[in-house]
This record gives sequence, C-alpha cells and structure tokens, in this order.
Amino acid sequence: MIGGEAIQSEIIQRIRSGGQTELGMIYEEYRSEFLQWITKEYDCSMDDGKDMYQLAILIFYDNIRQGKLEYLVSSVKTYLFGIGKNLAKDNMRKEKKFTPINQEKWLKEYLIDEPDQPLDDGIFALAKRALEKLGQPCKRLIELFYYENKNMQEITEAMQYKNSETAKNQKCKCMARLRKLVDQEIERNSNVVNHETY
Amino acid sequence: MKPTEHDITLMERYFDSELSVTELEHFHSRVATDATFKALVQREKILIGAIRNQGLLDNLQYLKAIEDKIQGNQAHPASPKIQRWYYYAAAAVVTILLSVTFLLPTQKSSDELFAEYFTTYPNFVEPTTRGSNEATNRAEAFQAYEQKDYQKAAALFTKMLNENRESGVLLLLGNSNLMLGKTKEAKENFVTLIEEFDELDIQAKWYLSLCYLKSGDTENARKILKELGETEVSYASKAKELLEQVD
Repeated sequence: MIGGEAIQSEIIQRIRSGGQTELGMIYEEYRSEFLQWITKEYDCSMDDGKDMYQLAILIFYDNIRQGKLEYLVSSVKTYLFGIGKNLAKDNMRKEKKFTPINQEKWLKEYLIDEPDQPLDDGIFALAKRALEKLGQPCKRLIELFYYENKNMQEITEAMQYKNSETAKNQKCKCMARLRKLVDQEIERNSNVVNHETY
Repeated sequence: MKPTEHDITLMERYFDSELSVTELEHFHSRVATDATFKALVQREKILIGAIRNQGLLDNLQYLKAIEDKIQGNQAHPASPKIQRWYYYAAAAVVTILLSVTFLLPTQKSSDELFAEYFTTYPNFVEPTTRGSNEATNRAEAFQAYEQKDYQKAAALFTKMLNENRESGVLLLLGNSNLMLGKTKEAKENFVTLIEEFDELDIQAKWYLSLCYLKSGDTENARKILKELGETEVSYASKAKELLEQVD
C-alpha cells in the first residue's frame, strides 16, 4: 500500500511528469480494494466495478494533468473511492437503479464543462473523424498539448523538435490542418445529406 | 465568412491561456457581440474536446489491456516479477505436456491447444510512455503492438530489425506474426532468436512450440516442450517426472 503525505505528493508529481506507466502503476495499486468496496457497497458485478474503477482512474489522472489536483488533503485511495462514489451515485440518479455504465458515453459527457451548452454531437463526430485522418506526428503533438497538458519544452523533448518555437509553430500548423479537415468533413457530410434528399 | 489570421491567433492564444487580462476582456466582448467569432470559438472548443476525448479513450484501452493482463495472471498465478515468465511457461508446459501426451488424440486438436495457450508476450522492450520519443517509428511500433495493431507493428519491427538486430524486437515480431496467422514467418523469427542470440531462449522455445502446435506438428512441439520441462524452472522436475512416466 502506498501511504504517507510525502509519498502521496510524489505520486501526483510522477503522474504529472510521467505517462502511461504511472497510470498503470496506480491502476494496479488500488484495484483490489476498490473492486471489493464498490461491488459490496453498490451491489454491482465485478465487471461493472472494473468499468467504474477505470473511469475513476482516468478522472484522477486527468485532474492531475490538467492542474486541477495539485495536492491531496486525504490519500489517493480516499480520493479514488470518492470519485467512485460520485460515479455510482450519478449513474444511479440517471438510471434510478444501478445499471452498467457506458464508458464511452460517459467520457464524452465528462468533457462538457458548461452544462447549459450541450455538445454538438454532429460536429463532435466529424471532428473525431477528422482527427483520425490527421495522421502522425500531428495527432500525437496535439494530444500531448491538449490532453497530456505538456508544455512546449516537454513536447520539444518528447518529439525531438529543434526548440520550443518550432514545436509551437508545428502545433499551430497541425491545428490549422485539423480545422481544414473538419471543414472538409462537414462539406462531405452535407453533400451526402443533399444526395439523400434528392 | 472566412476568419482572419488575427481572429485565429486571438482564439488560439485564448485556448492556450496566453491572453493578458485586458486581452481576455476584449476576447469575451468579441464572443458576446460577434456571432461569427463566437461560432469559431465554439468549433475550436469541440475540436479540443475531440482531441481530449481521444486521449481519454486511448488511456481507457491501455487500462483495459492491463486488466486483461491481470486476469491472465490470475488464471496462471505468478510472482515475483522476474520469475513471472518462467513460472508461467513452466506451469503451461506441464499442462500442455499432459494435453499433448494424453489428451490430444481424443480431446483437443493442436489448433485448439494453440488457441488456449497462446497469449502475446507483453511489450517488455520499451513500454510506451507518453512522454518520450512518440514521433519515432520505434515508439510507434511498440505502441501499435500494445494497441494490438499487429499488422503495423510487424511492418515496423521488420524495418527496425533491418537496421539493428535486437532480440526483444524479434520476439515481439514473432508474436505479431503469430497473431496475424503467419506461422511460417513466426517460426523463422523464433528459430533465429534461438540460434543467433544469447538471450530470450526459453521464451523463443515456448513460442516455437506453439508454432509447431499451430501447424499441427505435434512431434516437434512435444520435443521442445520436453526440453522446456527439463530446464531449471519451477515445476520442471514435476514435468520431467511426468514425462518419464508417460514415455
């Protein structure tokens, strides 16, 4: 068991500067206890418990990467169980009883930070398609910046660019290309709709 | 209307948290009064949302892969880390020996045995960490392997091996070929690994025996399994004892 205030903050530091290895480490560390607790507390199956644990880990990781979680007043375990509790309650509130959680749907809704402005599902789907067409290294670069929240210096090192300025220019070019691809997807989609109309 | 360069720069700097307090005020005022600019900002927000969503889904897949590994380990209990492979191989050897020797003719075909016992070797060579060398073919190859894109992984591993012969990469290439149903190529990979490298022999022999099983050559599969049973790994003595009784 990982414990102690110093170690807790070290965990946060490692996740902030690390990557998937650290994500995996945390996953394995608290898995058994979490599954034992959630299956008993909410009378759900082991598979449902795993689905919620995976989401809890992703939120924990994302909160650290996005700078929303800089230090813990409790332990990592308490924090993870807290996320699990909220997930289970939220799921039960929506469905009135415990039902298996739809992870992909949940992860999409998680991104909406303004509840009064619902996500445009159509554009979102086209943006995802455009992202697939973007290719590497652009896709990786913008993911490092917007998802991993890496700064330009870190990106420069990770992707072996000449300097931060080059990395930043490259990021701007990649985003411009992505916008163009989305425009093309929207146009293609409207053509399909028009053809179907006639 | 097409957005101006200035508008795009302003929007980019907003999302990259680079605006000063005054610039931020100007930005919000533009969003409130200029519908075209507001639409541009909303579109960008969705784009960034799609990028973040992809990152979350990639990591979800990664966690699922870890979960699969944990399940696999629970099915074939193993520890500590360094010994993990040996225990797994040896335990499987005993079971396979039993199956091949006693049960094969009446119960399970070699194909079924292969399907039952073959699991890809984990990427131990260079576990993908999102912070390093992601742009290189090398990182892409390991990432493809972890994401089960064996076609891509095999192509990139082959390219890597042409430049530099690495035992670990060869082992993963063999696994990729096995996953792609290219048993002949996989067999060549493992034979090369056994004959031309000083490490990963046990692993290569294990997978070579599975190649033989896959191609229905139970005689050669049995030969290698017998040899593996004679190595100094856990359960090996039991395997030997059992094999002697069977012979």
